[in-house]
Amino acid sequence: MVERSKVMKNFWRGGELFVWMSASGVAFSLLMVAGMLALIMINGLGQFWPGALQETTLKTQETVIGQVVGEEVIPNSVTPDSPAGQRRFRYRVGNRDVFGAEYRWINAADIVSNARPEDLTVVERREWGPAFGRISVGVEGAAAGSASGSSWTTVKNLVERANQLRRRIEHLEREEIGSINYRIEKARLARHALTLSGQLSPGDTEKAGILLDQIAVLERDYLAKTEALERLHKEAGQEVLFLTLSTGRSVRLSLDQVLAVSRPNGMNWFEKLWAYAHNLWLFVSSEPREANTEGGIFPAIFGTVLMVFLMTLAVMPFGVMAAVYLREYATQGSLVRLVRIAVNNLAGVPSIVFGVFGLAFFVYALGGTIDQWLFPEALPNPTFGTGGILWASLTLALLTVPVVIVATEEGLSAVPRDFREGSLGLGATKFETLRHVILPCALPGILTGLILAMARAAGEVAPLMLTGVVKLAPALPLDEYLPFLHLDRKFMHLGFHIYDVGFQSPNVEAAKPMVYMTTLILILVVVSLNWAAVRLRNRLRRRFTASAL
Amino acid sequence: MSTDRFTFMFKSVHLRFLIDRLARALITVGGLATIVSILGIFFFLFREVTPLFTQPSAKLTQRLSVPALLLDEGPAQVAVDEHREIAQVFTSGAIQFFDLASGQPIPLDMPAQVKSRQITAMASGGGNAPRLAAGTADGEVLLLKVGIMTEFTDQGERKKRPHIRAGQPIPLTKSPIVRLAYRVNDQGSLLAILSKDGRLLVVRIAADDAGGSHPIITELPQPRGTVTALALDALLENLYVGTAEGQVVHVALSETESPEMRAAYAVAAPSTAVTMLGFLSGDRSLVVMSEDGAVSTWGLVRRADAPSGWTLTQMHALRSHNGPVTAFAPSQRVKGFVTGDIQGNLFLHHATSSQTLLRLAVSEFPIRAVAFAPKGDGLIALDGAGQLSLYQVQNAHPEVTLQTLFGKVWYEGYDQPAHVWQSSSGSDDVEPKLGLLPLAFGTLKGTMYALFLAVPIAILAAMCTSQFMHQDLRAKIKPVIEVMAALPTVVLGFLAGLWLAPLLERMLPAVAGMALVLPLLVVLASFAWHLCPLSVKRHLSQGQEALLLIPILGLGIAGCLWANASIEGWWFDGNVKAWLSNRLGIEYDQRNALIVGIVMGFAIVPVIYSIAEEALSNVPKTQIAGSLALGATRWQTVLHLVLLSASPGIFSAVMIGFGRAIGETMIVLMATGNTPILDWNWANGFRTLSANIAVEIPEAPHGGSLYRVLFLAALLLFIVTFVINSLAELVRQRLRDKYSHG
Repeated sequence: MVERSKVMKNFWRGGELFVWMSASGVAFSLLMVAGMLALIMINGLGQFWPGALQETTLKTQETVIGQVVGEEVIPNSVTPDSPAGQRRFRYRVGNRDVFGAEYRWINAADIVSNARPEDLTVVERREWGPAFGRISVGVEGAAAGSASGSSWTTVKNLVERANQLRRRIEHLEREEIGSINYRIEKARLARHALTLSGQLSPGDTEKAGILLDQIAVLERDYLAKTEALERLHKEAGQEVLFLTLSTGRSVRLSLDQVLAVSRPNGMNWFEKLWAYAHNLWLFVSSEPREANTEGGIFPAIFGTVLMVFLMTLAVMPFGVMAAVYLREYATQGSLVRLVRIAVNNLAGVPSIVFGVFGLAFFVYALGGTIDQWLFPEALPNPTFGTGGILWASLTLALLTVPVVIVATEEGLSAVPRDFREGSLGLGATKFETLRHVILPCALPGILTGLILAMARAAGEVAPLMLTGVVKLAPALPLDEYLPFLHLDRKFMHLGFHIYDVGFQSPNVEAAKPMVYMTTLILILVVVSLNWAAVRLRNRLRRRFTASAL
Repeated sequence: MSTDRFTFMFKSVHLRFLIDRLARALITVGGLATIVSILGIFFFLFREVTPLFTQPSAKLTQRLSVPALLLDEGPAQVAVDEHREIAQVFTSGAIQFFDLASGQPIPLDMPAQVKSRQITAMASGGGNAPRLAAGTADGEVLLLKVGIMTEFTDQGERKKRPHIRAGQPIPLTKSPIVRLAYRVNDQGSLLAILSKDGRLLVVRIAADDAGGSHPIITELPQPRGTVTALALDALLENLYVGTAEGQVVHVALSETESPEMRAAYAVAAPSTAVTMLGFLSGDRSLVVMSEDGAVSTWGLVRRADAPSGWTLTQMHALRSHNGPVTAFAPSQRVKGFVTGDIQGNLFLHHATSSQTLLRLAVSEFPIRAVAFAPKGDGLIALDGAGQLSLYQVQNAHPEVTLQTLFGKVWYEGYDQPAHVWQSSSGSDDVEPKLGLLPLAFGTLKGTMYALFLAVPIAILAAMCTSQFMHQDLRAKIKPVIEVMAALPTVVLGFLAGLWLAPLLERMLPAVAGMALVLPLLVVLASFAWHLCPLSVKRHLSQGQEALLLIPILGLGIAGCLWANASIEGWWFDGNVKAWLSNRLGIEYDQRNALIVGIVMGFAIVPVIYSIAEEALSNVPKTQIAGSLALGATRWQTVLHLVLLSASPGIFSAVMIGFGRAIGETMIVLMATGNTPILDWNWANGFRTLSANIAVEIPEAPHGGSLYRVLFLAALLLFIVTFVINSLAELVRQRLRDKYSHG
C-alpha cells in the first residue's frame, strides 16, 4: 500500500501528467488535420472508381440494382435481445426520374440473395443522374438495320456515335451560333451608341444603315444555323436504347441523352483503373451539368486561376512599392511604426468587410462611373457597374496587399546593412542600390509574400460573393472574341462552387461526392502554395543567418 | 557577367541622378497611395454609414394661394404627384388641380354630381389607389376616383393628366354627414359614417358592385359618449370610433355577422376629445390624436386576460402639439406620418423609432390638410389662410436610430418591445426590423464557443512544442499545425454543415462519451508511462509523447463512436434528443452552436497556436535552464516561470484568435441555421454580423436603409477586429522588446 501511494505521489509531483496533457493538444490538432484530409480524400477520390453493381433480391420478391455506398446500425435498433442491433445498407439506385430518390436504405434482414451479374449496365445521362439496369432490346430507329440484337459492342458504338453527334451540336451551338449572337449584340450596341448623341450627322446615318444591314445578314445566318441545329437535334434524338430497370420496367433512353455506358462488373482491375483516370480527367476538364451537381468543374478551376492571376498582377507592384517606401524611403519614426502596425492589422480584418467595401467602391462607385462614361449605350444594363472578375480581383488584391507588404518588408529588413553601405560606398545611387542589390536579395521574401497572398486569395469566398462570383457563368472571362479578356464578366470559383453545390442545390446528396472532390482540389492548391511559401521563407532565413555570421 | 547589369555605371551622372529622383518620387507616390488607399477603406465605410444618422431636413420650395372658391371652413384634402409637378386640393367647395411649375390652376370638367352638392366630410380609401369618399349635406355618400395619370407620348415625353370620376350618390340618412371613414381592398369597400343627428352607419359595397347600387347598410348601436373620429382598416374588419371623452371603441366588423362592440379603451387624458384617428401605412398601427395635441400610435396586442384575447395598447408616444391636431397624413411607404395643428405647425414623426423628426412652422393659421408626396420626399400642406405650401424633405433613413439599432423596439404585431432582426419580407407594408443586437449576440456566441474549444488545445499544443519537444520534431510538427490556418474556411464550413452536423446528430452520445473518455485516456497513458521501466522510456525522445498519444486518442474516438448506441442506451434512455428535450428542455437543431464551436475552433487553433508558441519559445533559455538546475520539474518550470513570463503573449494570441473568429463568415454561414435569436444554448443556431452581411447585401437596394445598416455592421466588425488586433500587437511588441533587451 505504502509502495503504491509513493508511486502515485511521484507521479503527481513529477508533473508528467501535465506534460502528457499538453502533448494531447498537439496530438489532437494533428488528429484533426489528418482526419479531415483523410475524410476529404476518401470521399472525393472514391467517387470515380467504377463501383460494382449489386443485384439484390428482397423478401418481398422485389429486386434492387444499385451500388452499395454505406452501411450502418439502424438507429434505436439496439435492444437487450440483439445487442449488436440491426444493420442496413445504403444503395445508390439511380434512375432518379423513375424512383424519385437517388439513394435507398435496405435492411440486411430483408435481403434474400445478392448477385453481381456482368450484364448490369451503368448509363450516364445528361439529366437525372445515372441509370442502372440491363440494356435489353438493343437498338431501334435509324441504326436498327445494322444492329444485331443487344450486343455490347453495338451499344458502345452507338453511344460513341451519339457522342460525336453531340460534340458537333455543341460546336454549332456554342461556337458558331454564339459568335453570331455576339456580333449581332455588338452591332446593335454600336448602332444604339450612334443614336445616343441625339443629332445624327449624315456620316452617322450612313454608318447606322450599314450596321442595320449587317444585323439583317447576321440574323439570316442565325436562322440558317438554327435550322441546321434543329436537324442535328432530330438526328440525335432518333436513336433509342431500351433499358430494363430492376423493377422489370423498360425505359426508353434517347441516345442524345446518353453520355456513356459501362459494365463495371465485367471490368478487370486495369480497365477499372483506366475508367477511373478517365472519369477524373472528365471531372477537371468538362463543364458542369444539372445545376452543377454533375459533370465537371473546369470553369470553376479556370475562374479561380484567372482571378488569382489578375489579383497577383494588381497586388505585386503596389505591395512591393508600399513596402519599399516604408522600409527604404520613409523617415523611420513613430508615424511609420504606427502605419506599419495598422497595415499589419489590416490582414486581420474580416474578409467580408473587404467584400462590402469592394461592392460599394468598385462595383457601385467606380463601375457605375465607368459605365456612364464608356458604356452609355448598354445602360440601364450595367457593364462594369455590376460584379465581375476585375472587381473581385481588385477586392482580393486589397485584402492581400498587407500580406505582401509585411513579407516584403521582412525580406528587405533581412538584407544585411553592409550590402547597402557597400553599394552606396561604391557610388551607386539609392535607386541603383535598391534595384541591383537590395531587391534581388529580398526577392525570396517578396515571392513568399506573393505566394501567401495567392493562397489566401484562392481560398477566400465571402468577398467574392459580393463582387462577382456566380454559380453558373454563361461564358469564360477569356475567349476568342476581342478584347479576349472580358474583365466585366462574372466568373465561377472553386470555393463558391463548394458553397453553392453543397448548400443551394436541389440534390445535395447526389452532389456530395463532387463537392468533396472540388474541396480536395481547392485544398491541394491552397496547401501546396502555402508549403511553397513556408519552404521559401525558411530558405531565406537560413541564407541570411548564414551570411550574417 | 553580362554587361547590361553594369551599364548604369557608364551612363552620365545627370541621367543617373534624374532616374534616382524619379524613382524616389514614383515609389513615394505609389507607396503612399497604396497605404492611403488601404487605410481609406475605413473612411469609405464610414462615409457610407453616416447618412443613417444625418438629421432630416425640409426646405420650402413653393407657396401659392388657392382661389377663394376653395376657402371655407369645411373639410379639405390635398395631394401631390410623385414628381411634385401637380398638386390637388379638394375642399367642400371644389376639386382643383394646380400646375406647380407655373402655379396656375389646371382647368378641368367637374362631374355634375360633385358640382351640385355641398361636401361636409371626406375620406381617402387608403393604400395608393386614388379613391376618395365624400359625404354631403344631404346625407349622401359620393365615391370618387381622383388622381393624376402619368402618360408617355411616343417621343418618350412625360405628360400628366388629372382626372376625376364620380359614381352615383348613395343616399344614407336625412341629416348631413359629419365624419367619414373609407377603405377599399380586393373584396370590396367599406364606409363608416357619422351623421349630424348622431347615427353611426356601416356601408359595405361588394367588389363586383362597381356603381355602388347595392350597398349593404348596417346601423351600429350608439357607443357611450359623443363620436368625434372614425378609422377603418384595410382588412375591412376593424372600426375604431373616437369619442369626446378620450376613448376609442373597437368595433369588429364582418361580412356575415352583425357588428360587435369589442371594448372601449382610454387613449387620451379623461374628457379630452380624440380629434383625429388614422392608420400608418399597412393599416396595423392606429394613430390617435387628441384635443390637447397628444399624438400616439396604438396596436392590437395579444393579451390572455382580455375578453377577446386582444387589447389595444399604446406602442409609441410621440411629441405633442401645443393645440388640437387638425390634419394627419401617413407616409405611403414607411411607418412615418405627419400631423398638423391649429397653430400652423407640422410635425414629422416616425413610429418605429418613436421619434419626431422635424418641426415645421408652416403658417400662423390652422393646417387644414397635409399629405406626403408618394415617394416620401415631399410634403404639401393647406392652411386656413388658403396657402398651399410645398416642402422638399430629406429623410432617407427615418427608421434608423441608435435606439432602433441596439435597443428594444416595439414593432407592429409584437406583444412587447423586442430585439429583432428581420430586414425583408414579402410585403412593403411590413415594418423593417433592423435590430443589430441579435446579430452582435450571435457573433459573440459563435466566437465564445469556438474559443472554448480552441484556447485549451492551442495553448496546450504550444506549450508542448515549445517546451517539451525536441527541436527536430518541433520543426516538423509546427508547420503542419500552422498550415491548418491556410485551409479555406469554405471547406471547413462545408464539412461542418454537410458532414459533421448530420454525424453529430446521430453521434451525440459518442461525443458526450469522448468528453469523458479522452481526458481519462491521457491520464491513464501518462500513468502507464510513469510505471514503465527506464529501459523503455529511453527510446522516446522529448516530445514524442504527442506521437504516442495519436493512436491512443484515435482509438478512444473510434471506441466512443463504436459504442454510440450503447452510450445512448446507458445515459440517455436510448434516445438522446428526447432525453435533452425532456430532461433539460433543450430542442436540438441539426446546425447549432456546438458544430460552429468545433469547426471554427478548428480554424482558429493554428492562429492562437502560432502566436502563443512564439511567445513561449521567446522566454530566455537561460531562465529555464536555471529553474531546472534548481530542481524544478519540467512542469513546474513551465507553470511558474515560462507561462507567467509569456502570459501577455498568450493573451495576445487569444485576442487575435478572437478577432479571427468574430469576422469568420463562411463557417457560420454554412454551419448554423442563420436564425437571429438571443439564446446562449449550445443546441440551437444563431446568426452573426458577418454571415448576415453575406446573406442580405446582395438583395439590399443600393443606398437604402438596409444597405447602410449592413455597412454599419461591416464597420463595426472592422473597428472591433482592428482594435483587438492592435492591442494584441502592442502587447506582443512590448514583450518582444522586453526579451530582446533582457
